Amino acid sequence: MTDADPTLFAQVRDPANRADPYPLYARLRAHPVARQDDGLWVASGYAAIRALLHDPRVSSQDLPRSEHPRTGNPVKDWVVNPLKDWIINRHRPFIFRDPPAHDALRRQVMGQFTVSRVRGMKRRTEALVAEHLEACAGCTPFNLVDDLAYPLPVTVICELLGVPREDEPRFHGWATQLATALEPESRTDPAVHARNVATFDAIADYMRDLIRAKRRRPADDLLSGLATATDPEAGRMSDPDLVATAVLLLIAGHETTVNLITNGMLTLLRCPDELARLRADPERAPRVIEELLRYEPPVHFRTRLALAPIPIGGAVIPEGAPLVLLFAAGSRDPARFPLPDRFDPDREDNQHFGFGGALHYCVGAPLARIEAEAALTALATRLRAPRLAEDPPPYRPGASLRGPQRLLLHIDGVD
Amino acid sequence: MRVVVDLNRCQAYAQCCYAAPEHFVLQGDEILVYDPAPPAAARAALDRAVQACPVRAIRVEHDEDRAGAGP
Repeated sequence: MTDADPTLFAQVRDPANRADPYPLYARLRAHPVARQDDGLWVASGYAAIRALLHDPRVSSQDLPRSEHPRTGNPVKDWVVNPLKDWIINRHRPFIFRDPPAHDALRRQVMGQFTVSRVRGMKRRTEALVAEHLEACAGCTPFNLVDDLAYPLPVTVICELLGVPREDEPRFHGWATQLATALEPESRTDPAVHARNVATFDAIADYMRDLIRAKRRRPADDLLSGLATATDPEAGRMSDPDLVATAVLLLIAGHETTVNLITNGMLTLLRCPDELARLRADPERAPRVIEELLRYEPPVHFRTRLALAPIPIGGAVIPEGAPLVLLFAAGSRDPARFPLPDRFDPDREDNQHFGFGGALHYCVGAPLARIEAEAALTALATRLRAPRLAEDPPPYRPGASLRGPQRLLLHIDGVD
Repeated sequence: MRVVVDLNRCQAYAQCCYAAPEHFVLQGDEILVYDPAPPAAARAALDRAVQACPVRAIRVEHDEDRAGAGP
């Protein structure tokens, strides 16, 4: 075997390759687990990713310590902000936690992410989609990102959490800023980092007040449930954990869903036969969505940390090594999926990594499916003669949460 | 219709319970209770559950499949 090119993942991160990273993923998969020249280890083969997802030596606690940027104000720099950092470091959201702390937090969230609460959003989501689409009726081209895919998930998650409607516009701004927090670059670029810290502080302050209000007057919403429920083992969730959880649900539920809807419509327009089939038979939507999660997933990779040396695929990931699980490459591994670069909703045995896997499997998956189904079914059946105004579209900078910045569609009207 | 869940594969991701709540319920953390012989009208909901299962543990046999398969 030839030596692996240790710059392949740097090329994946290069915005120039954002529109089509899949040829790079194919080259990475020649070595399913490979060290990059910056010390990062990248798992790109299906079997390797699956094994690492289930490996207790692989930690999700890979966030660097929270550190507020200096302000010049001594009270903030020496008292307030160090205290905030201390709290943040001790109360990370559960996506960045390992068992057993992870399990208790996740169990409490799942206890509130009930079937009836999630299913209860279905009709409301469909109504929101219809509202947004009808507003686009006279516009051509319209921008699918700004006009539907972006506003929809924030409204849905705010209503599920129980954020008062009049506060929702603030969430749209916060969600936009915090989406960059999951990109590795946000940890190294001081300007991005400072903006993320400020946004996190603002939203944490807001959430603390909202949680207090929910405790005083609980309603039938997720945040009231979390704020008042008592877990048999863990007891009542602490305020800092509640804040961290609420922020996580907002971020994780937002840009990912935007990408699923936008990548979905882009893919369908590139595969007109599949768009026609969905239009003729909306019951194909669940298959279309699972195949999208494999073929053009909203989250391309997540990072981890090796807690011990891990022998895998002929290599040994050393203790302490930062690790990338390149889900989008694994979901196109020809060793696992026949004709992986073909978009085929009729594919059997589609065990994709679109929602990750193992103990961190996406909590919001059922909600994402509801939102994507409502949006894509309506787009397929109600848009008259939709066509792409530009292909490829421009992409946002993120390599992990990857999706178009805008998706301009020409249409002849909305039915 | 007949529903078969491979309980060796099932890892209690509970996605079927959201996709088809009338037909799949998780009791406690990992006991899956499901309707093995649902009515034909449940077809779309069951297909949702089949598709949503992260480990593809659910199989639905439609009556016409079995009739077509022959003896």
